[in-house]
Amino acid sequence: MQDKNFLRETLQDGAKAFQDGKLDRRSFLALCAATGFASATVLAGKAEAAAKEIVMWNWGGQSEECHGNAIGKPFEAATGLPMRFDTSGPLQGKIKEMVDSGNVTADVCDADLFDAIALGPTGHLEAIDYDVVSKDKTLPNYALDHGISIILYGYAFVYDTKAYPTAPNSWKDFFDTAKFPGKRSLYKWANGSLEAALMADGVAKDALYPLDIPRALAKIKAMKSDSLYWGSGSEAHSMVVNGEVSMGMVWQNRGKNIEADTDGRYKLVMNEALAMPGAYIVPKGNPAGREAIMKFIATAQDPAAQLQLLDCLGMTPSNPAAFANIPAEQQAYAITSAQNIDKVAFNDPVWWGNNSGDAVNAFLEAIS
Amino acid sequence: MSTLRNKLKPGWLLVLPFLALVVLFYLGPILNILMLSVTDPAPGLANYAKLGESDALARIMWTTVRICIVTTFFSVLLGYSIAYGMVHSSTQKQSLMLTLLLVSFWISILVRTFSWLMLLGNRGLINNTLLGLGIVSQPIEFMRNELGVLIGMIHYMIPYAVLPLLVNMQSLDMRVMNASRNLGASGTQTFWRIYLPLTRPGIVASSLLIFILSLGFYVTPAILGGGKVLMIAEYISVQLLVTLKWGTAAMLAALMLFGVLALLWLMSKFMKLSTVFGGSTQ
Repeated sequence: MQDKNFLRETLQDGAKAFQDGKLDRRSFLALCAATGFASATVLAGKAEAAAKEIVMWNWGGQSEECHGNAIGKPFEAATGLPMRFDTSGPLQGKIKEMVDSGNVTADVCDADLFDAIALGPTGHLEAIDYDVVSKDKTLPNYALDHGISIILYGYAFVYDTKAYPTAPNSWKDFFDTAKFPGKRSLYKWANGSLEAALMADGVAKDALYPLDIPRALAKIKAMKSDSLYWGSGSEAHSMVVNGEVSMGMVWQNRGKNIEADTDGRYKLVMNEALAMPGAYIVPKGNPAGREAIMKFIATAQDPAAQLQLLDCLGMTPSNPAAFANIPAEQQAYAITSAQNIDKVAFNDPVWWGNNSGDAVNAFLEAIS
Repeated sequence: MSTLRNKLKPGWLLVLPFLALVVLFYLGPILNILMLSVTDPAPGLANYAKLGESDALARIMWTTVRICIVTTFFSVLLGYSIAYGMVHSSTQKQSLMLTLLLVSFWISILVRTFSWLMLLGNRGLINNTLLGLGIVSQPIEFMRNELGVLIGMIHYMIPYAVLPLLVNMQSLDMRVMNASRNLGASGTQTFWRIYLPLTRPGIVASSLLIFILSLGFYVTPAILGGGKVLMIAEYISVQLLVTLKWGTAAMLAALMLFGVLALLWLMSKFMKLSTVFGGSTQ
């Protein structure tokens, strides 16, 4: 990843120098060739394209193709700015380091809304410009000063239909290893797991916050000998399909893939799923500038773009205008579909942003 | 001696720029980390005080040290046997074995880690075979626990154990062993009383190498441990990337650094470290 960044930076510097007349055309083309960038994007008068673009910092995989088609294409058609990707994963620590170092290379991070609470007040993020971006095009609590939710993802669970003739239907069932014997898997960086444990312990889904961490951890520790903990979506997926667990917490869009991969042997339960606001946040001093990136975020609020992301990635729209158009085959899996929206719990990004450090550490210490 | 010193001078001048680079770009950041451990979030020794307050930190450190010691022991034991076998094979076989050993360096640690899951997982090759033959009724839990972590780490570390031992064994004067046999010692006696002591620098070198490399293991424990085997390296990375407690991360990193230095110092009390690192014994 370092190399890729380095090459891109070299090329961007070269393109700037070329525009300013400091670098002759021949050297610039040689630079394009040397860095291996398709000359189509950089050739001739389009040198500007290499220097002025929107870089989305995300986790890679399919999301590159999906975001590119759903948001990148319409945005480029409207503004001429292409969308590029840095797929090294925008964790809070990396964003902080990037901004502190003064060498900001990403324009927008496909991150969590609670990151906006953790990094916004410390000056690491640009404020969202609500003259360009609309607060009405997301759920009411999910438009914050330094970040706005575009899509939702969620923590739900899948279970083995062969192991359990009576279907488990709640986190209470998930944590009940006497009634439903077998191994479980949970997310190892606390969020989702703590909420699930509290719901299992009888806390109402709209009265979760502030989280009672000791109570949640007691519930989790009680099941520790029957639990595995995953750190990535693919790990969660493989723990289930390889039969390591008979019920597994998963990201809800993974649940759909697991059902397909196992021909329906494992089934997703969306009741009491925890909806997490995925958000766009902008590192302070982003290279494309605040104006361009706010337009980009506004593009991503378009219901059509969000529905396309749902189709491509299984990420659920946060714009209420898109809810009614969620297609029939996604009804069972989408968090904000008519079928699910009243059954799910909603994450509080403000509590997580302020408490995630202590919550994650307490959780790690409890499970290790 | 004075002529020697005169000869050294221009050499040092040549080395000086590189030495300066090392100091600037290597020691600089390390000092920065040490600073961070006493300044973030507030100046003082609060980060170090956490060690006494939190038994979780102590537990994580104990897990790390325990896994490193077991890994070192078994890697060196197995590595010693392999190196011994290699030294006493024909040149042709020896180069074949060396090639096979080096090939394992080309395979990414992630691939190796996931291969273990395929082999030893609940529905892996071994468990499926055992279940199919009716030898066991429940899959044996090799993976997603401390045993899994140890299997993965020892497997990864064996080549690192073999190389220093191989070099050490190849440099031995076999006439010493012959003399021992000639004076009436049995093969076993010769091994324990002559061969093993002569390979001590190799054993110490590979043990140190493996222990220090093991301290920084991250991917293997995270995957094969099923989330329940938390080692310091992973904890540091979480503090840096997720919880933003850089002071705690820096404190633990500093602790690891001083731990390794203390280990080297301790070793130097018992033997000349220069022999371990290939220098002369004089």
